[in-house]
Amino acid sequence: MMRKIVREPLLHFLTIGAALFLYFHWSGGGSGPTSDRIVLTAGQIGHLAAGFAKTWQRPPTEVEIKGLIDDWIREEIAVREAMASGLDRDDTIIRRRLRQKLEFLFEEVDAAVPPSDRELQAWLTENADLYRLEPQVSFRQIYLSRERRGSATEDDARTLLARLRAAGPDTPIDHLGHPTLLPREVEMSSLAEVARTFGQEFSRSTEALPVGVWSGPIQSGFGLHLVWVRARVAGSLPDLAQVRLAVERDFTADRRRRQLAAMYERLLAKYRVVIERKAADDDGGKSGANAS
Amino acid sequence: MKRNELARKWLPAVALGLTLAFSSANAGSAPAGDEDVPVKGAFDDYDKHGDEHPAAAGDAARSKAYSPYAGKSYPMHVYFGDTHNHTANSGDAYMAGNSLTPEQAYRFARGEEVVSSTGVPVRLSRPLDFLVVSDHAEGLGIMFQVQEGNPALVSDPVAAQWSKVLKTGTPEEKAAAQSEVVKAQAMGTLPKVFKDPKVVGPLMMSVWQQYTATAEKFNEPGRFTAMIGYEWTSVPGGNNLHRNVLFRDGKDKADQVFPFSAWNSEDPEKLWEWMAKYEQKTGGKLLAIPHNANLSNGRMFELVDFGGNPLSKDYAERRARWEVLQEIVQTKGNSETHPTLSPNDEFAGDLGVAGWEYGNLTLTDSPLKPGMLPTNYLRGGLLRGLELESKLGVNPFKFGVVGSTDVHNSLTSIEEDNFFGKMPIQEPSPKRWEHKSKQSDWDAKLGPTKSRYTWHYLSAGYAAVWAVDNTREALWDAMKRREAYGTSGSRMTVRFFGGWHYRAADARARDAAGTGYAKGVPMGSDLPKAPAGAKAPTFLVAAMKDPLSGNLDRIQIVKGWLDKNGKGREKIYNVVWGDADRRKIGADGKLTPVGDTVDVANATWKDTIGDPQLAAVWTDPAFDPSVRAFYYARVIEIPTPRWTAYDALRFGVKMPPEVPMKQRERAWSSPIWYTPGT
Repeated sequence: MMRKIVREPLLHFLTIGAALFLYFHWSGGGSGPTSDRIVLTAGQIGHLAAGFAKTWQRPPTEVEIKGLIDDWIREEIAVREAMASGLDRDDTIIRRRLRQKLEFLFEEVDAAVPPSDRELQAWLTENADLYRLEPQVSFRQIYLSRERRGSATEDDARTLLARLRAAGPDTPIDHLGHPTLLPREVEMSSLAEVARTFGQEFSRSTEALPVGVWSGPIQSGFGLHLVWVRARVAGSLPDLAQVRLAVERDFTADRRRRQLAAMYERLLAKYRVVIERKAADDDGGKSGANAS
Repeated sequence: MKRNELARKWLPAVALGLTLAFSSANAGSAPAGDEDVPVKGAFDDYDKHGDEHPAAAGDAARSKAYSPYAGKSYPMHVYFGDTHNHTANSGDAYMAGNSLTPEQAYRFARGEEVVSSTGVPVRLSRPLDFLVVSDHAEGLGIMFQVQEGNPALVSDPVAAQWSKVLKTGTPEEKAAAQSEVVKAQAMGTLPKVFKDPKVVGPLMMSVWQQYTATAEKFNEPGRFTAMIGYEWTSVPGGNNLHRNVLFRDGKDKADQVFPFSAWNSEDPEKLWEWMAKYEQKTGGKLLAIPHNANLSNGRMFELVDFGGNPLSKDYAERRARWEVLQEIVQTKGNSETHPTLSPNDEFAGDLGVAGWEYGNLTLTDSPLKPGMLPTNYLRGGLLRGLELESKLGVNPFKFGVVGSTDVHNSLTSIEEDNFFGKMPIQEPSPKRWEHKSKQSDWDAKLGPTKSRYTWHYLSAGYAAVWAVDNTREALWDAMKRREAYGTSGSRMTVRFFGGWHYRAADARARDAAGTGYAKGVPMGSDLPKAPAGAKAPTFLVAAMKDPLSGNLDRIQIVKGWLDKNGKGREKIYNVVWGDADRRKIGADGKLTPVGDTVDVANATWKDTIGDPQLAAVWTDPAFDPSVRAFYYARVIEIPTPRWTAYDALRFGVKMPPEVPMKQRERAWSSPIWYTPGT
């Protein structure tokens, strides 16, 4: 069973995770892991009960409160005994969890400060390429299936193209071409969106097509297509209002990364880091005083 | 529409089409039909049944709106996503080395490049349309309580005092201060600063609330949906009964509760109680998606409740209400069926069964025994549902299907050529394929020791949802009505309709979907009442390949029904296939194999076999109106390279012959049910 626990992250977590969380929560106060008193205050019980109520959508009964308290005491005992036996030392999972919590608290503080418009504008200017709007295109298309027509498909396409050109722009096309689940009318969409339905090859080909003329045939993974490009919007650099949400997300993410790095830099100053390498990389040992 | 008006509008076009029609009179390989020319199409039918569909092509020509699609109320787009993604907020994921937060999960799903937990840059070939970050509830609620003593509060003297005590006081002082904080929080008497959202907002945020905030930030209606959800991780004795719980709502409602976890109860009925209370309290909406029936040792569709009592009508009603979908495929295998249960199904054991049929999730407790099989897979679950319905009057297992991933590295990266594994340890490396993820620990009496390796994992799957828009509400509503299907990782388009009036020509309609909705019901529904004189239900099914994946081999319809003794039976029908000119159904009932163009050494294939699109109308040839039945469509692709082939090529490693190098990607539609007398 131990073997299993070591291997199985889910079980691992489900069995000991709760104990760890509770320990870290309560160890900041109360009766300390080294004391022989276990104190559960009215406030803490209230907190347990509140947690219960928020999950179950009703307050706990007396029996359930007793259950919560018993469980908490058992956990407290388990945690203290485990700590006393040094089970927490060099435990990768505890170390990771502590680090996660420290960074988590830090990030919450950071998230409280909304970025200013000036900061966001500066970010946008500096990283303009990230937000460049892709070229967009809207078109109608008629599909011709190679499965149905084989080598005659190309000829069909050319014949139909000539007639379409003669018939004018408002010709109904719903009855033309072969049946398909592909849309015949595509509203203004980015080339990436077009590629998601029609494939890359088709999407790239539409870039070169003139507006307001039946063109083609162009090739896709499905077959051949005659295409009438209705309109096109060139790629452009957006202003802040258009991409504010994305800019804000990226700016705050970057700010968090920078501030987290700065926090570690500050904290590092409190420590003298010694890295002892094997004799073989002797030199590295001397120059490795700085962990960052 | 008046005849002459129609003629005036359409005549030029028809004439134009006719020319082409003659030139294509002997068209190729399409399945048998009355005519096969690109001229006559759906609008002829609409003309006759003009009122059946409000947005028929003829109407569009007449109406003011230019676009024939304007005003259509049925779903025009299928949205692809993952309802099952774990981030660093999941305890097991974090401990396994996942350092990516929900934010990175969303960024990745939206198509941005991110760096994986093992330091490898990764990006999707195409963005996803939606993502549910479904971290384990177990642990989330407790993290909520770790916030006291934050420096952001020290602007208030009381808070500053608390803070000082917490930093430097004796254990007793700390205890007192902490309980004061807790008490004040509970009683609503916290200092003013605590009510300043700027200060206290982030402080009071639980992981849950921080998560819902992140979801709000990345949710862009119309473009990308960040649906709120979590996983309820019930796993009694290693038997997987996990459910993902999906919210239709935003943060305002979701934040009113803590997720109900398996630490609260492992009994699904308790989860449903909690879901009912949530809806009552908030006016919001929830649904649950169980997953990995294949790892439940027969418990997913067991015929008793969690306490071992026979199922009641009340249980059946609640289960059918809350659990409208099941996950049919994910990284941990395929839950459709097992070759022992479905010996006549040539696609029953070829994908995602090997390695997953030894036992339950943790390979503890017991091996998977034959007696467990009938309640261990989805097809069996659908059949048990029919059986139970005839006893209880309600079908407890009336579910549709989706695929999803269950990745624990925050990366829904399950394209075969871009597979980042389920756990960080399974991210790309020359040795990952042979990493042992599980080994059984039952004793020798129970059976020989079994192991699961990374190579057993599937690079799968996606949830495909026919919604009217890409929003939380529209996607959730579509899931609720089971208008969804699952794929093994390919983004193929699948339409499936049932009704009593489809005709062969409907499969060649220009607007198959319009015809589908006009004359019947979509996947996930009940067949409408049979009209007088109707002999058998008809089904309109159509599929289109993923532009980046292989051509289509065939579409099948899987039928399940109750026999004379009330026992569930199944049969697979091949209804339409690619390369129809050279393939037919033989005396043994099997279709000529499509072939195989995979070049394993170079991890490529050619689309010279199969078809990019398939469509057909199928009538049940053995319909008995007196028995319950269900029908679902299964679309099979031609063989393509499996993720292991890309690994073998890119890392130059050789894997033993038992490791598959190619596979048949597929999609499963949600079923359509027939009930006698309705």
